[in-house]
Amino acid sequence: MSAGLVQVFFVAAGLVAVGIFAAAWRRDLTAALAGIPLMFGGAAVALVGIARFSAAGGPHLFGQGFAVLLAISALALVALGIGISGREGSR
Amino acid sequence: MDSLHAIGFYVSSGVLLAGALGVALLPGRGQRGAALGVAGLGLAGVFLFLSAGFAAGIALLCYAGAALLVAAPQYRSVENVASATWRQLGAIGAAGLLALLAYSAFRGDFASATFYGGAFGVAALGRLMFAHDALAVEAVALLGLVALAGATAAWRARERGR
Repeated sequence: MSAGLVQVFFVAAGLVAVGIFAAAWRRDLTAALAGIPLMFGGAAVALVGIARFSAAGGPHLFGQGFAVLLAISALALVALGIGISGREGSR
Repeated sequence: MDSLHAIGFYVSSGVLLAGALGVALLPGRGQRGAALGVAGLGLAGVFLFLSAGFAAGIALLCYAGAALLVAAPQYRSVENVASATWRQLGAIGAAGLLALLAYSAFRGDFASATFYGGAFGVAALGRLMFAHDALAVEAVALLGLVALAGATAAWRARERGR
């Protein structure tokens, strides 16, 4: 049994599609926000896969570094969205 | 990639996609938050079995934080103004994108290279992020700062208006 870049891309594609589905399908906007980390995670999986299987020459860990930045960005965007939506008991 | 790593990758991928589907389909906030935490765990596993241990740790922390935020009971619901037709079109578009990406992955001809990094690669990643890509790291740090400050300001403004 082995895994390669194609399998990684399948997982990444599934994750991005599920994230878009969550963001589009959810009626509640704060629930739709949870699709953002999924989309970013899909992109990060693809980048880490490229760094693992296909990166040659130059900074070969660029995909991993970008994946770290994507994870932090996802958390920041969720925090901003939840903060803008406000607390439930305020009205 | 040897068999042990491949099995770990597939199991982690299953956990990741199951958690992601839970985020998309489960009804309650707590359930969605738990599903996002499970997805974060699966994502960290995928990173770990792809020899990206440092990224796995960061992803685990960030997704745990996002899961706690999503599961928090304090925020109110904001209804989407888009009609059901548009939401259905978005869902169909997501399915079409999945088909397109899967076809591209299946038919693509990708270069392959030998991976020389270690299981974690913290030192090399640190050199990359703080020397080669320092500007990108600073931009994301600024985004994090603006997001947290904006979230706090919005939260406090609502509290003051109560």
